[in-house]
Formats: sequence, structure tokens, C-alpha cells
Amino acid sequence: MTATQKRVLINRIVMGLSTLSAAIGLFFLFWILYILVSNGVEAINWDIFMFEGAPPGYEESGLKQALVGQLIIVGIATLVGVPLGILAGTYLSEYGQKSKLAETIRDISDIMMSAPSIVVGSFVYAIMVVPMGHFSAWAGIVALTIIMLPIILRTTDDMLHLVPTTLREAAFALGAPKYKVITQVVYRGAKAGILTGILLGVARVAGETAPLLFTSFNDNFMSTDLMEPMASLTVTMYNYATSPYEDWQRLGWAAAFILSMFILGLNIIGRLVLLTKKGK
Amino acid sequence: MATICKVSEEKALEIKKFQFTYASADEPSLKEISMPIAKNSVTALIGPSGCGKSTLLRSINRMHDLYPGNKYEGEIIYNGRNILNPKEDLIDLRINIGMIFQKPTAFPMSIMDNVAYGLKLQGIKNKTEIKDRVEKALTDAAIWKEVKDRLKHDANGLSGGQQQRLCIARAIAVEPEILLFDEPTSALDPISTQGIEELVTELKEKVSIVIVTHNMQQAARVSDYTGFMYLGELIELGKTEELFVTPAEKLTEEYITGKFG
Repeated sequence: MTATQKRVLINRIVMGLSTLSAAIGLFFLFWILYILVSNGVEAINWDIFMFEGAPPGYEESGLKQALVGQLIIVGIATLVGVPLGILAGTYLSEYGQKSKLAETIRDISDIMMSAPSIVVGSFVYAIMVVPMGHFSAWAGIVALTIIMLPIILRTTDDMLHLVPTTLREAAFALGAPKYKVITQVVYRGAKAGILTGILLGVARVAGETAPLLFTSFNDNFMSTDLMEPMASLTVTMYNYATSPYEDWQRLGWAAAFILSMFILGLNIIGRLVLLTKKGK
Repeated sequence: MATICKVSEEKALEIKKFQFTYASADEPSLKEISMPIAKNSVTALIGPSGCGKSTLLRSINRMHDLYPGNKYEGEIIYNGRNILNPKEDLIDLRINIGMIFQKPTAFPMSIMDNVAYGLKLQGIKNKTEIKDRVEKALTDAAIWKEVKDRLKHDANGLSGGQQQRLCIARAIAVEPEILLFDEPTSALDPISTQGIEELVTELKEKVSIVIVTHNMQQAARVSDYTGFMYLGELIELGKTEELFVTPAEKLTEEYITGKFG
């Protein structure tokens, strides 16, 4: 075998192996999507959005309480977590820079990002649920905010870093005070990146079950009282899917489908934002 | 000692025994620099890489203050006061002493908003006034004809040379007294370079200009005075035609004849 033939052969083997690996990954992804869609679409109907949870066997049962609860918990966690995360990321990139404090915050955030979410759940259980004596939506919101915070903080930090120093200097050279340089020039330059970070952070917490299991817990009926336990799609799905009743299991599939579509939607929007930014 | 020529014009700036030390360095990067900057003239700073010409330029609008730990000594006199005074109002100073950077620094906003940025910073809210001054600045920066139909478009859609002229328009819109150019053409093609050079020559009617360039021909073409710097020192400041033809210092002669650099 000549050197050229050998090179061509090795090239083919490497290409074959990597293509195969990619195919295996895609195979499972599409399998999951297929099972989810085939079971989910079948389980979806208007009743799901119209009715609250009901005992097994009832005709009029749905996921209304879980959908509303999910929106409230994730919504408030986003409202609290996004400004906090952006401001903290701004501190790291624009004020703290390479200081000891900033580097420590970065390290801790990186650890927090990979921390098991159930640990965050038990932490909030200890500091909120136990003293209050009962589960509450607030506890769930706090748990999700804690999980979301490091993601938004680090993406904001990274994205602000990508804005060229000369752009900041140019704004300063026109006589702009620092807060205006940050809010009017640096944020604009990093807009798409920060938005992507927010979407990814929201998508991440929207799919969390463990930190909600013993914080916001669950409720089979509509509740908008943040001091009381509140249903969420994830916990409801967990309860229904592990139940022995077929109609509950169907509702579990519906919850899984709605949740996946929501998160898929967020991810697609995130990609589109990045694409339109690059296209300019 | 350095040979410093007399300046016949009024002085826009007077640099006196100026020393500058970077936060990370033990030794000063600029040593005992004294020179006048003539009003309504172009003063070029030339010298090999690392000689401190950009460092000197960035001291004049106190750009080094953005990074902690840098140290100024000596004086830079502007309008009768020493601008190195820690109490100097840097916002006010930078409104009067504008800067153009090596790479174009168009902000991520429309062409209109870019040029209006400095005006809005000064609290000008009257839309007609902003519009008029933006048009005037763009006209003076010789780019009005190219952009007048797309003022609302993203400034990053312009070519490099256009962006640089936009940055000049942005800087002159606030009517500064001094403009600092930090190698403004090193990222541009020859035709854009020629445009910027012509612009620099026209602008000196209204402002005093200091330009850092590593290109000696450029210094010879655009400037009235040229300062040659080497290893953090000002070796010679002379009228441009004299410095390039009959330099007083041996080092200057060696540099302009290409013996080192």
C-alpha cells in the first residue's frame, strides 16, 4: 500500500467513525422526539387547557393548574433572575474585571452551574419551607432563580467581554460617563449574546423538576397564591407519569409534550436571534 | 538633550517635563517630554514601534485613566491649566479633546445615532439642531454624499474607510478644539488613506491636530510639525520640511533614512 492509499484509507475510517457517532446521537434524539410527539399529540386536546386536575376516571380533567403554575413560577423567577444576572455579569466584566472578588464570583458561578439542581432544592427547603412550615410557590421561585442566576451572569460576563475595548474607549473619548458607555454602547454590542443567555437560562429552569419537588410541591387545583403550594408542569408530569392510571399517564405525556415544545421554541428563538445578528 | 524647534503659532497645548509610567511597569515609558503643540496645525509623532508615541497621545485626553494604576508626572498645559490635575473633569476634557482610533469604532447603532451620540451626551435634545449638526459634521468629514440616503442604517454596514470618516464626523460634531489621531489609516486601503489625509489637512482650519503614524511619508504629507520619538524620549521636534530634509539630531537622520526602525 502506498502512502497516499494509506492516507486515503485512514481518512475514510476516521470520517466513517465520526459520522457513525453523530448518527447514533441523532438517532436517539429523534427517537425521543418521536415517542414524545406520537404520545403527546394524541393526549393533547382542548380539555387540557380548560380543566384542572381531577381524580382518575373523571372525564373533565386537565392541566390548567400546572400550565398556569408553570408560567407563574418560571415567569417570576425570570423577572427576578434576569436583571440580577445581567447586573452581576456587568459588574464582573465592567467593574470587577480581573479582581480577586470578580474571579471568585466567576469560579463559584461555574461550580453553581454544574451543581445538581436537587441540592438547590434541598437548600431552599431548609431556608424557606422549614421555617414557613409549608411548601410555597415562592420557595420554588427562589430555587429556580438560584439555578438561573449563574447561567445569565456568566453569559452576560462573556458576551460583554467580546465587545472590543476600543469601542468603550471611543465612547469615553467622546466624554461619555461610564454608566452611559455600558448601557448605551456596550449593551448594544452584546445584545444578541445576552438575549441568548437569557433564553437558555429560562429554558434550563423551565425543565427543572427536582428543585420544585420539595419547594413549590404540587397542587391538583388552580392556585395563584404564591404563599401556597403551586402546581408546575414538571412536577405534575412526574406525578402523573408514575401513577398507575392510564388517563393520568396520558396527561403526563401531554405535559411532557407541551414542556418540550416550549423549551424547543425558546432554543429556536435563541438561535434565530444569533443568526439575524450575524446576518447583518 | 532633545532639539525642540520654536513654534510661531499660538500654542494649543504645552507639554512640560511629562513622564508616564504604566501600572505594570517599574520604569517610566515616557521620559521628561517637553514640547509645544501648535494651534490650527498638524503635529505628527513618528518613531519605531514601542517608542511611546501612542502612549503620549493617549495621555493628552487622559485615556490611561480607564485602567487603574497608571501614573502621570509633569504637566500638560491646556487653556492655562494642567490637565494632569487629578481634579480635572475628564468628561469636559474629552469633549474638547477628541480622539480617532486605529481601527474604526462605529457604535452598534445607526449612522445618524453614531454622529449624534456626542451631541446627545451634551444634553442637546432639539431634533432640528441635532439633525443640522450631524449633517454639517458628515459634510465636513466628506462622507455626507455617501450616507445621506441611509442615515437610519446600521453603521457597521459601511466600509472601513467610510466608518473611519464616520468616526471623524462623530468626533468633530461636538466641535472639539483638539483632535488626536492614533494611526488612523493603518487599517485602511490606500484610497481611503488618501481621503483621511486630505481630511486631516482640511480640518486644521478649525482644530489643532496631533497624529501618531508609523508611516513617515504620511507624516511628511499631512503635518506642519513632526516629533521624532525613540525609547520613550522625544528626540527632536521640528518643522516638518526641515526635520525630514535637515534633521538636527543624528538619531532622527538615521531613522528617516531607514538605518533602523
